Amino acid sequence: MERIVQGTSPAEVIRQLQHTDGYHITNTARDLSQSDFKNRILLHTDLLAADARERAGYFSLEITGGASVHVDILRKQVDPFLKLEILRDKMPTTMFQTLCRGVNLFGYRPYPQNVIRFTVKEFAKYVDVWRTFDFMNYIPNMQAVFEEVGKAGKINEPCICFSTGPEHTDAYYLTKVQEILDVTGTDIILCIKNHGGLGTPGRIGQLVDAIRQKHPDLPIHYHGHNTDGNDVGRIVAAVQNGATIVDAADASFTGYYGPAPILTVIQTLKDLGYNAATVDEDAVIETSEVIRDERQHYEAFESQIKGFQPTVQIHKLPGGAMGSSLEQASKGGFLDKMPDILHKELPRVQKELGNYWSVTPGSQILWTTAVSNVQGGERYGNPSGDLRNLLLGKYGPFPFYDPEDWIFEKVLGTDWKKVLKEEGGVEDIEDMDISKEKETLTDRIGEEPTDQQLVLYLQHPNDAVEFFKFESKFGKVYVLPPSIFLHQGGFEPGETLQFTDHTGKEHIVEVGPSNVDEEGLTSVYLNVDHHQRVYDFEPDLPEGATAKAAVISKEEILDLAKAGDARATFAGNICEISVEEGQEVSAGDKIAVMEAMKMQTPICVEIDGIVTAISAKVGDSLQPGDKILKVDSDE
Amino acid sequence: MKTKILVANRGEIAIRLIRAIQELNYEAVAIYESPDKDSRHIRIANEAIWLGNGPRCDYLNINKIIKAAKKSGAKAIHPGYGFLAENPDFAKACEENDIIFIGPSSTVITNLGNKVIARQIMADAGIPMVPGSDNLAQGEEGVQTALDFGEKYEYPIMLKATCGGGGRGIRLIENAEQMREEIPIARAEAKAAFNDDRVYLEKVVIEPKHVEVQVMADKEGTTIHLGTRDCSIQRRNQKLIEIAPSMIGDKKLLDTICATAVKAAKAANYFNAGTVEFLIDKNFNYYFMEINTRVQVEHTVTEMVTGIDIVRTQIKLALGKKLAFSQDDIKLRGHAIEMRINAEDPQADFMPEGGKTVTVYRSPGGYGVRLDGFVYQGFTIPEVYDSLLVKMTVHGFSWNETVDRLRRCLTNFVISGPKTTIPFYLNIAKDKDFIEGDFDTSYLDKHPDLFTYDDNANEASKLANLIAEIHHREHNPYAA
Repeated sequence: MERIVQGTSPAEVIRQLQHTDGYHITNTARDLSQSDFKNRILLHTDLLAADARERAGYFSLEITGGASVHVDILRKQVDPFLKLEILRDKMPTTMFQTLCRGVNLFGYRPYPQNVIRFTVKEFAKYVDVWRTFDFMNYIPNMQAVFEEVGKAGKINEPCICFSTGPEHTDAYYLTKVQEILDVTGTDIILCIKNHGGLGTPGRIGQLVDAIRQKHPDLPIHYHGHNTDGNDVGRIVAAVQNGATIVDAADASFTGYYGPAPILTVIQTLKDLGYNAATVDEDAVIETSEVIRDERQHYEAFESQIKGFQPTVQIHKLPGGAMGSSLEQASKGGFLDKMPDILHKELPRVQKELGNYWSVTPGSQILWTTAVSNVQGGERYGNPSGDLRNLLLGKYGPFPFYDPEDWIFEKVLGTDWKKVLKEEGGVEDIEDMDISKEKETLTDRIGEEPTDQQLVLYLQHPNDAVEFFKFESKFGKVYVLPPSIFLHQGGFEPGETLQFTDHTGKEHIVEVGPSNVDEEGLTSVYLNVDHHQRVYDFEPDLPEGATAKAAVISKEEILDLAKAGDARATFAGNICEISVEEGQEVSAGDKIAVMEAMKMQTPICVEIDGIVTAISAKVGDSLQPGDKILKVDSDE
Repeated sequence: MKTKILVANRGEIAIRLIRAIQELNYEAVAIYESPDKDSRHIRIANEAIWLGNGPRCDYLNINKIIKAAKKSGAKAIHPGYGFLAENPDFAKACEENDIIFIGPSSTVITNLGNKVIARQIMADAGIPMVPGSDNLAQGEEGVQTALDFGEKYEYPIMLKATCGGGGRGIRLIENAEQMREEIPIARAEAKAAFNDDRVYLEKVVIEPKHVEVQVMADKEGTTIHLGTRDCSIQRRNQKLIEIAPSMIGDKKLLDTICATAVKAAKAANYFNAGTVEFLIDKNFNYYFMEINTRVQVEHTVTEMVTGIDIVRTQIKLALGKKLAFSQDDIKLRGHAIEMRINAEDPQADFMPEGGKTVTVYRSPGGYGVRLDGFVYQGFTIPEVYDSLLVKMTVHGFSWNETVDRLRRCLTNFVISGPKTTIPFYLNIAKDKDFIEGDFDTSYLDKHPDLFTYDDNANEASKLANLIAEIHHREHNPYAA
């Protein structure tokens, strides 16, 4: 078997896949990082693994896409394009794969068509295989991506999102496959995207078989998660029934919610007579050994709750959202309510909201709604803006059935029918004036941005600018190993840290003493390449309001709101303050928008009056009970 | 008992003098004011005498210093530069107290310190000077003289009040019309300011090079020169960088200038080490400016290219020795550049950084580099004195080699705590015009880009900045 190499035309890749003896493996490093390490696996670690991964002979390495593009600039401080460029240099043969959320790209809300096309065009310079999905399985939402990938000469891998339940039949999925083929033509790979790791091996085998019967030449790529500990079973069933490519990840980093271990898949299928076509087992083993020691530095980002979650078959949360959901529950202090939320409320909400696919951004809507329903007292009493958009059909039509009228009424108000008629339907988002955006960005960073910088800015304006500023201040920090970049606690005095910068130059940093002067200014002394340097840090703001406010109970917050004192009802960031001091407001008016778990929720005022004191500002991170603003009733 | 010599100075020059004294197997007596109590010149001297609380008044107190010399039994006093070095009263006090003053006689210092007398001496000796007029006659006659002067030497011309000084009573005249208008105004102004309405004219030398000649003379009147130095790179008339020899390609001209300097020194009956300063205009006309009757800050570059220890020679001459070498023995070898590394912030108009503690002091080493400094790691720079920390002098066989060495040494010179002129000098060492030897006194004005640099811009210190933040916050706030 010849290895499929990067640069091969889509038609030729499809032809080779059709003639595969055995099956191929995609190393889903991106999904491993997202599901089990909150997306924090650093380029440094991927570079350690690069040589062995390159030799391992995978069909592809999924190394970008999903939430990773955002986290790259937000938390890993690495340019997602540069990351691909550097990896490509180390891995010239292996195809790179991405996961794209269709119209939502790598974000959480639909983007204008011209932004989608511009983004895909820039990323397609590095990305060979485009796995594209839509959480409503609404094919038009993926059209622009399909077209741009085709134009770039790269491989389209459209997904059918998979879930379970009475509506999720083979027949249904076959119509979806046909809808895809109708727009893409046959030179594609079809992905069964099982982001929750749902269904039994039998169910997956059956679905793969059904598709194979209907489309014998269509290469099928099975993507699953090991949340219930049984994805190897589903992978085996998929291969036995004719799937050509399956997803798995490096064993030494596998956890509870991400992909299954590659070597386990290889060993199990070998025994059943299926060979991993071009895979070098020694290189697979070597990869795990090379990065094994790095895992300790990621401990802070591993799941709070250990162990597989076979109950995923009930709550259906996708692997990529498990870690962050548990983290939110832990930080929000409602871990004890998780059984209720996961096993009772979530399945109920799913059913009520049309039993669509629990994957980004739909999974966040389900989760936020379920949490709010359990925490807020009244079910659907505090709907998020995104739930509203879902009911308005902004993301696409409900696949099987519409939610019941009372939910529409709760979310959209008593005149919901009128609202639905006036505002409903898939939104035609106006094209953005990209050249104007470029001017704005030029102003903000003080120099003309590259196209790549512009793409990042169009995706996440504020976070991109913050990242560019970070880079000019701190340099190319992706060279720092996780033992430094993700270090917990201070370093030991006298500790020696070594790293190689992006030009290949070695540096030694010795940690010296820290002095605090009478004004609280801390001076950190470091010996950098034998030259002492001093870095000064202003004293932190005293811990005041935040810590105290956190002890206010839910009931108190609601009482305060009725008195015009609007507080944060959940932990999140302010993304909009909609009013100004002195402005007159009426009960029910939106005064601010908060964001948590990437879901935006409007905060509404409970009384008529005048805005007197705005305490929060855009970008503030608030805890429950923190002040947002006050309204004095104008009696 | 060993011969003792008192060093009537502080800072780097005190150390330079002490080194020469100790090499001669004499003992060095240091003096100091309170703010200098941690200064290194005290530590390396054989004796140190506290003069008082200062600041800057005890180093200028002739009586106290003479008393200290007598108390310690010093046979001679070396004044260094600055403070009392060119004060004829100090030289005179030494003479009256039978203490050898290492420098010319008080009479010579007096004569050369007075511009009018100095100009007269040089004029009589036929030394070329910046063309100037006598005092202008009153009325139309004076105006006519002025217009003729303008015609002859070309504008711009400086119109100066005879009794002016310190930059006052000077106006720049651009053309004949302006000359006619300004003379009465200048007179009225001079009358009001100095109660003397005399004015005279001097030609303006535009964007000159500042070239000076080191001369040495023994008591028998044997006078030789040690070649030229270029001190054109200055800010507000303060030298920053000095080079030996001058980069002027016309060797004959330089020989002529050196011969002129010797002639000038002889005319002034000069003794010991001195410096004859010249301005050189765009057409390579040279004009005498003044004679400095002391060891110069920049004497090191001359030492590097001649191999002559100027301070050692000064002491020997003062103690009555003859010059141990003739003019023919003086051969210039290679090039030397000295940079004055000051505790100043070039980006804030060279604001002094006194009062700050040197937290790191790592100096370059290796072939062809010489350091004359006095600070050390942990030393707090007194606020009350000048900001010179160390002079770095590099020597190389060719100009290119010397500039390469300069760049290397500046790159490896680390001083933390106060801001210094190092990053600014590094820009100069990398500047095309400087590398090509093309500079005059307008160099800094014409190269504003030299002031653009980021002291912490290298990649390692940026990355270390993040490490410092992780260390300080006890986690990485940018990865949380």
